[in-house]
Amino acid sequence: MPGSTTTQDIEFIVEKKTSDGGGGNLPPAGHDGGGDDGKRPRHWKPSPKRYYTGMALGIVSILMFFMALASAFLVRRGSGDWVPVHIPTLMWINTVVLLASSATLEMARHRLAQGRLSGYRNLWLVTTVLGVGFLAGQIVAWRQLVAEGIYLASNPASSFFYIFTGAHALHLFGGVAALIYVAKRNFDQAQVTRTVAAEVTSYYWHFMDALWLFLLALLYLGK
Amino acid sequence: MVTYDDGASAPQPARASFLARYLFSTHHKTIGLQYLWLALASVLVGVVLSTLLRVHTSWPDTAIPFLNGFGNSPERYAAVRLLHGSLMVFFVLTAAPQLGFGNYLLPLQIGASEMAFPTLNLVSFWLTVASLAGMTASFFYQPETGINVWLASAAIFALGALLSTLNFMVTTIDLRAEGMTLPRLPVTVWAWFLNSILSMLIFSVLLAGCAALLSDRLLGSQFFSDISFLAAQPQNLIRQGSLPVLWERLFWYFAQAEVYVAMLPCFGIVTHLVSTFSRKPVWKERLVVLALCGVGLVGFCVWGYHMFATGMNPYAPLVFAVLASSLGVPAAFLLASWLGTLWEARLQLTTAMLFSIGFISLFIAGGLSGIFLARHDLSSAAVSEDFVIGHFHLVMGVAATFAILAALFFWFPKLFGRRLSEPLGKLHFWITFAGVYLIFMPMHWMGLLTQSRLLPDAQRAALASAGASIRTLVTVATICTVFAQVVFVINFAQALVRRKISQEEDNPWRATTLEWSVASPPPESNFGYANPTVYRGAYEFPEGLANDFAPQHLAPELLAQKVR
Repeated sequence: MPGSTTTQDIEFIVEKKTSDGGGGNLPPAGHDGGGDDGKRPRHWKPSPKRYYTGMALGIVSILMFFMALASAFLVRRGSGDWVPVHIPTLMWINTVVLLASSATLEMARHRLAQGRLSGYRNLWLVTTVLGVGFLAGQIVAWRQLVAEGIYLASNPASSFFYIFTGAHALHLFGGVAALIYVAKRNFDQAQVTRTVAAEVTSYYWHFMDALWLFLLALLYLGK
Repeated sequence: MVTYDDGASAPQPARASFLARYLFSTHHKTIGLQYLWLALASVLVGVVLSTLLRVHTSWPDTAIPFLNGFGNSPERYAAVRLLHGSLMVFFVLTAAPQLGFGNYLLPLQIGASEMAFPTLNLVSFWLTVASLAGMTASFFYQPETGINVWLASAAIFALGALLSTLNFMVTTIDLRAEGMTLPRLPVTVWAWFLNSILSMLIFSVLLAGCAALLSDRLLGSQFFSDISFLAAQPQNLIRQGSLPVLWERLFWYFAQAEVYVAMLPCFGIVTHLVSTFSRKPVWKERLVVLALCGVGLVGFCVWGYHMFATGMNPYAPLVFAVLASSLGVPAAFLLASWLGTLWEARLQLTTAMLFSIGFISLFIAGGLSGIFLARHDLSSAAVSEDFVIGHFHLVMGVAATFAILAALFFWFPKLFGRRLSEPLGKLHFWITFAGVYLIFMPMHWMGLLTQSRLLPDAQRAALASAGASIRTLVTVATICTVFAQVVFVINFAQALVRRKISQEEDNPWRATTLEWSVASPPPESNFGYANPTVYRGAYEFPEGLANDFAPQHLAPELLAQKVR
């Protein structure tokens, strides 16, 4: 192709792929129909399927990370130097905040699907604030524990308590960053639509929510 | 957003700077090549280190660089061993067949123009580089600091590997070309895909384990023990009860499956090459894919058999022994398929094929001693350092290296548009093939004769002198084999400056898969405007064709024209 550039080649191919409708691997027959008139300017919108697949597999990977720690927790619990950590009341309140954020996130997506952008933006902001509120609450809860003299290095139970809550907070921090990114991102020229970005982010957020419930149950029942 | 106006009047962007083109390229072929260069550098350092180790074992009084320079202490010897193992396992055996060849070839073989997440790919490559730098640096620190640096580097490697596996899986699932159905996938793609699933599961565990252990060592948390037990003697470790064993379990959960992470892509590569050079379809291709799944599944479950020597539930060894032995079933499937493909084939004994057959030979030889080790009752008698070292070097280290070399000889024209010399390649193969058997077979004897726990002490002492001469033989064989690698380095360097192959030779091996449907090396967009369409399976060599093979991308009507 004289004169064309490779970037454009790539974009054209991807565009062609998506233009024939559907993320399936076997596009419907007759897909070559519109293949030759690529000289009209078009926007490059690759199939969003990869983002869903990527998020699903990423969630499995994160789950495996926490399962490794959970199995270590269950094995380690049997040793003699185990001093149970009681869960601060604040963490229960934080749990409610996190659950509420999942609800507002779904409401935001509902508004987005209806095309009510301002409602979506407000609820998205509420979700972000609730997420930050959860993180702040966790930090306060840790400080309460420290004030009671329970440190990371105090005993195995406290070590596990801090690593579970800490690793979850770190992952949730990534979720908050994603919420802010989706809110600030200009989707006019992006490869993905706002709907896709919001949906993929919501998968992660709900997973963080469910993971927190699991960790809380583990720490509560397993102490 | 670039708008496509007209081919001729499209603006030519300025040629990207060196940094953008190489260091920060998100392009899968560039990244794949970078992984291969990384692996090449690591393997060269790794074999030199192994020679130092052998020389030190045979002639302990000889002054050796790196061992003496830092004080001739046992810790230095252990540090050299650790560096040798880390370089080879992480940056050669894990990086080359999966990340190197996989990144380069996976999109090409499934008809995609890129990996699913190119930026993520770049990030995982640089995490791997950081990890290599860290593991190398840990060698120069005092043991206490060195272990921390090593652990942090291992965690970084795990993170990079996790991002890579995500990319591989999503690319295989979502970016396949039109008509590339699952049964039509080349076995190499299956192997990379299944290996990514296995890697995702085990590297997550390694990451968790390293994070917890680092936290123990740096922040004083108490996940594994209240003392940093790695500094303690191994014997004390085992008797201390269950605490350090917990770390060992997490580690072996990763490390046992890591063996299959290194081997799975090699199985795929060898299956692919044996079929191509036999000019025959893979025998029972679906069973091969099932066997690859089986290797992944069982490999994931056998972590416990490294723990026979430590404390564990008395019934657990039996379970793990059964599981470990059941690995023989998929392995036998694979072997049967390779032999079935070779049966009555029109063999083409190119260097790539020789290395593939060498892989099969080493896999059988090394696998057989694995049966002893999988039996928990036998292994407690046979587990001696030299026996185990001989076993896993044959079956994992050297066999996988042979598969990597086979892949390099096969895909070198695709990667560089040039060919490696066949005569030099064959010379290199035969010396190396003889060399590795001379090194690792005697190691098995050494382990059984001089270190067996079954023999009374008096008899063992009597055998010690025989052991010493075997040890010298192994060391001499190591030195010779390592020096023979110069043949390979010369071949490689010569090939890089040789003239490029002509367009007619774009598919020198007359292979069927999609990467050979484009120029060598492929254009940056891989397939350009001609979005590939796949019409048939990956290994079709029908009779009566002028070319004896049916490329995946060739439409049936075009193929019909080629009938004699």
